[in-house]
Amino acid sequence: MADDKGKCDLPLSRVRTIMKSSPDVSSINQEALFLAAKATEMFIQSMAQVSLEQSTDRNQLRYNDLADIVDSIDTLQFLQDIIPKKIKASEYFEIMKKWEAENGNDSDS
Amino acid sequence: MAERPEDLNLPNAVITRIIKDAIPDGVNVSKEARLAISKAASVFVLYATSCSNNFALKSKRKTITAKDVLDALEDMEFDQFVDPLKECLEAYKKNQQGKKDQKKKDKEVANQSAGGGDQGEDEGVAIMEEESEEEEGGRAGDVNGDGDVVEISDTSEDA
Repeated sequence: MADDKGKCDLPLSRVRTIMKSSPDVSSINQEALFLAAKATEMFIQSMAQVSLEQSTDRNQLRYNDLADIVDSIDTLQFLQDIIPKKIKASEYFEIMKKWEAENGNDSDS
Repeated sequence: MAERPEDLNLPNAVITRIIKDAIPDGVNVSKEARLAISKAASVFVLYATSCSNNFALKSKRKTITAKDVLDALEDMEFDQFVDPLKECLEAYKKNQQGKKDQKKKDKEVANQSAGGGDQGEDEGVAIMEEESEEEEGGRAGDVNGDGDVVEISDTSEDA
């Protein structure tokens, strides 16, 4: 909506709240606040575009598309705990079975 | 992360709009994907803030400036954002200056009709003017990090 580069769709007050929740932050210059908000807007666009591009289904944007790029792109490593890859329960049980087999069933306390 | 009642999430509607504008029409975005992007965006703000703050502290300043944010983004390897952001900053500064000029004009008109003087006005304008200083050569984004402690709440910006 805001094709005016000097405007940001994200509410600056909310962005400021988030920034202030960071430890050791004293104050934030108004221009810095604007840039942080605008950068976040670009980040959102980027996430959406890139994950769609890498997706196997270009008509849908799904969680796994995002998890895939977080996993494959270095600069997105900071999101690994936020958008982890999901596996099916059956896959999980397979993994656990293998792990138990490899590590023996020695139950030590 | 947040034990306070303050919401560290960005508004859903805005996130959705930004996503939709970034992708081709008709592409369906799952609710889970939207939520994930929203969380990611909040974390991005925190990460960028932390990085920016480090730059400020390195220069022995307590106020995070525009330059700190740009340096942080490069450090985070989001350098592809830096040049576009510098353009946005210039546009933003023009907007702000335009608003202040308009406000000043409005005040002058009001004062004339009220027949009063204009004492006290200058203070407000002078403080704000510091921010919109532009370096020569049009090199955008550089703000002298003199610790402009301008609290956001009392400025004339509107959402």
